[in-house]
Amino acid sequence: MRVRVAVDANQLDRFAPHTHPLWWGILGAVAIEAAVVATLLTSWFYLATQSAAWPPEGTAPPPILWPTVVLCLLPVSSMTMWWAGKGSDAGDARRLSLGLALSVLVACLVLGVRAVQMTAFDIRWDAHAYGSMLWVITGFHFTHVASAIVGTAAVTVLSFRGYFTPSRQLGVVVDTLYWYFVAAAYLPIYLVLYIAPRVLQ
Amino acid sequence: MSRAAVLEGTGEALHPAGTRADELAAIERSWASPPGFLGWFTHVNHSNIGRRFVLTSFVFFLLAGILGLLIRLQLALPLAEVLDAESYNQVMTVHGTAMMFLFAIPAMEGIAIAIVPLMVGARDMAFPRLNAFGYYVYLIGGSVFFGSLFLGLAPGAGWFSYVPLAGPRFAPGYGVDIWTTMITFIEVSALTAAVELIVTILKLRAPGMSLDRMPIFVWAVLVMAFMILFAMPAVIVASSLLMMDRLIDTQFFVAEAGGSPLLWQHLFWFFGHPEVYIILVPALGMVTTVIVTFTRREVVGYNALVLAIVGIGMISFGLWVHHMYTTGLPFMGRSFFMAASSMIAIPSGVQVFCWIATLWGARIRMAAPMLWVLAFFAVFIAGGLTGVMVASVPFDRQVHDSYFIVAHFHYVLMGGAVFPLMAGVTYWFPKFTGRLLSERLGRWSVATVFAGFNLAFFPMHILGLQGMPRRIYTYLPEMGWGDLNLVSTSGSLLLAAGFAISLWNVARSLARGAPAGDDPWGAGTLEWATASPPLNSNFPEQPVVLGRNPVWDWARSGHRPIVGGLSITRRETMVTTLLDARPQSVQVLPGPTPWPFVSALVASASFFGLIFTPWAFVAGFFAAFLSFLAWFWPRKPWRED
Repeated sequence: MRVRVAVDANQLDRFAPHTHPLWWGILGAVAIEAAVVATLLTSWFYLATQSAAWPPEGTAPPPILWPTVVLCLLPVSSMTMWWAGKGSDAGDARRLSLGLALSVLVACLVLGVRAVQMTAFDIRWDAHAYGSMLWVITGFHFTHVASAIVGTAAVTVLSFRGYFTPSRQLGVVVDTLYWYFVAAAYLPIYLVLYIAPRVLQ
Repeated sequence: MSRAAVLEGTGEALHPAGTRADELAAIERSWASPPGFLGWFTHVNHSNIGRRFVLTSFVFFLLAGILGLLIRLQLALPLAEVLDAESYNQVMTVHGTAMMFLFAIPAMEGIAIAIVPLMVGARDMAFPRLNAFGYYVYLIGGSVFFGSLFLGLAPGAGWFSYVPLAGPRFAPGYGVDIWTTMITFIEVSALTAAVELIVTILKLRAPGMSLDRMPIFVWAVLVMAFMILFAMPAVIVASSLLMMDRLIDTQFFVAEAGGSPLLWQHLFWFFGHPEVYIILVPALGMVTTVIVTFTRREVVGYNALVLAIVGIGMISFGLWVHHMYTTGLPFMGRSFFMAASSMIAIPSGVQVFCWIATLWGARIRMAAPMLWVLAFFAVFIAGGLTGVMVASVPFDRQVHDSYFIVAHFHYVLMGGAVFPLMAGVTYWFPKFTGRLLSERLGRWSVATVFAGFNLAFFPMHILGLQGMPRRIYTYLPEMGWGDLNLVSTSGSLLLAAGFAISLWNVARSLARGAPAGDDPWGAGTLEWATASPPLNSNFPEQPVVLGRNPVWDWARSGHRPIVGGLSITRRETMVTTLLDARPQSVQVLPGPTPWPFVSALVASASFFGLIFTPWAFVAGFFAAFLSFLAWFWPRKPWRED
């Protein structure tokens, strides 16, 4: 049997951060997490339709000021991530490090605000299914911001040590993708937890 | 060229112009897995991990099968005393849970992990270390879950863990906690495998293997993986909510505090029904593969088959409520789900007609894999018919919670998954061991399993119609169910004997089976274009694909196009575009590493801790982060990676 080389892989890119299979893998992880968010929010509505009063009698909907601050802070942190990534594409390692560090700081601020806001909830998780839903969905997103922070902190350390170059920046690209998801997932959560109880009443 | 010759670098060159023998040996060294006991924990190659998945799942199949026999022995006679009520509940729960979560899904995924990269002409999967992580998670989680039975701590609320029965009030003790934590944990493994398979299929196909040239089995695995991606989160949410109801007193499923037990059923079956098809769809792919090879012709209606598989995948998400017809849902809702449930018959019918058309007039080679497929036809069609019956609300409300349902789902699960799986395992066994199975023992096994299965489960239809309820540990002699139960139990012993023949066949072949050669069945897909067992690198020269059955195409045209220019000293595989599989870039894959094992250990410890305290979550979060850090931290020298 004759054998001929029909495709030469010699000149093909070995790093290609924007088309790398890992980018698709993170997209898969995002799809899973998005399905979890959708399931939790659907469960919130399901229990709402099954209850006589939702939130239960005597419970106020959670205060809206701090969640709205979070809603603004998360896109800000996404913008600093984006700015850092553009710097990385251009080979500007200092801008990358700075942008990453800024994003981590803003996200830490988000965690702080979230913690304050949780103490202001009018109901505990073990008092009523409404409280359980409120706490678990909030805790779910809190955990995601926390994991985005620790992951990005690791990327920041690598960046300060000069690991990333325009051709070797896969870590930055996939971390940014996950960051965008964590920021975007807050919008439906915000609408359901803080707006829906006011509109539906 | 033989595997040994390649490893020693002494064989002839595959072709005069391309890779030389010493280069081949170098490639094989770059893809080698370290030997020895400690080396075992560092393996990442998909063929190793896939083989482990399949082997482990069959061990669980054997164990859960023995539990099934115990159930049958207890029910053989009225008022038998093989098991007491509590043990019976535990045995039944572990039998069902293990068969679904520890056997069926991992076995299908394991075969997919072992076969798919070969079928698409890739050298490994996209994330080899994640693959290894998923395996250890499954191994540890499954062992802990099954081990609880021996400590008398096993859950006893059924494989579906319905609340309030499984809630803190009616199921005190650790049993259901073990169920919730370990099920959540094992699903992590299913999800990693799903992402892995999707990315491998979409991005690592050999150049030229456009979507319409993908083998049907690969299509089936792709659909299965997408179904896992969207179905498993529902059960993860459900089991996590139940875990919290039991651990930190949340009220999700407590009716008195605004919760709803029906929410559990919705979440569980939103996963649970697609789950049935998650098992069925890859099995259908195996059936098609075997039919193509054993008729030696292209499948009839490739497009129709692919559309049918995708259609089954989609419709399966709209059926879950047919498990809940008796829960007092609105009439309109029930009618909708009745129509949707009947609709699944359409794509299933399309497939059956494509198979009939492919088989029609062909000279069929009646070897053991084909016989398993023929047995699948008979059993699965019988299960499908009762499926159409129970899809209808009035009929279902009569037989709900009776042995008719037990008969139905064993016909579809055994028929739809186990028979095709046996066909697949028999078919691919030579590829992964390099040895042939005995044809004679194979035939005996098919015949015994087929006879034993029908003897065991057919009488249950009648018992159900006579009113025997499910989930009972014994019954009174006056009910008159004794004779048929005795028949059923003797059938189950015959069934077990049939599987024992297969087990013996495998053991015998491993010890002294005839060498298989590269392509013992004369098949057309790429997994047969490498040595048996597969080379470390799968393909020393990645193929370029021009048709649906590349091996047949090469034989016809007399020439074989390949990819050149991949490194011989590090692990490289081609990345291609999603639709047309045009060359796009090259992925450098990681080598052996112990970190996935360490991460899996850390994750297991945290999940295990969740049985006892919510603080395990916090500790696990940071411990898992540290282990992932050690896993992903780039190793110096950076410039050479």
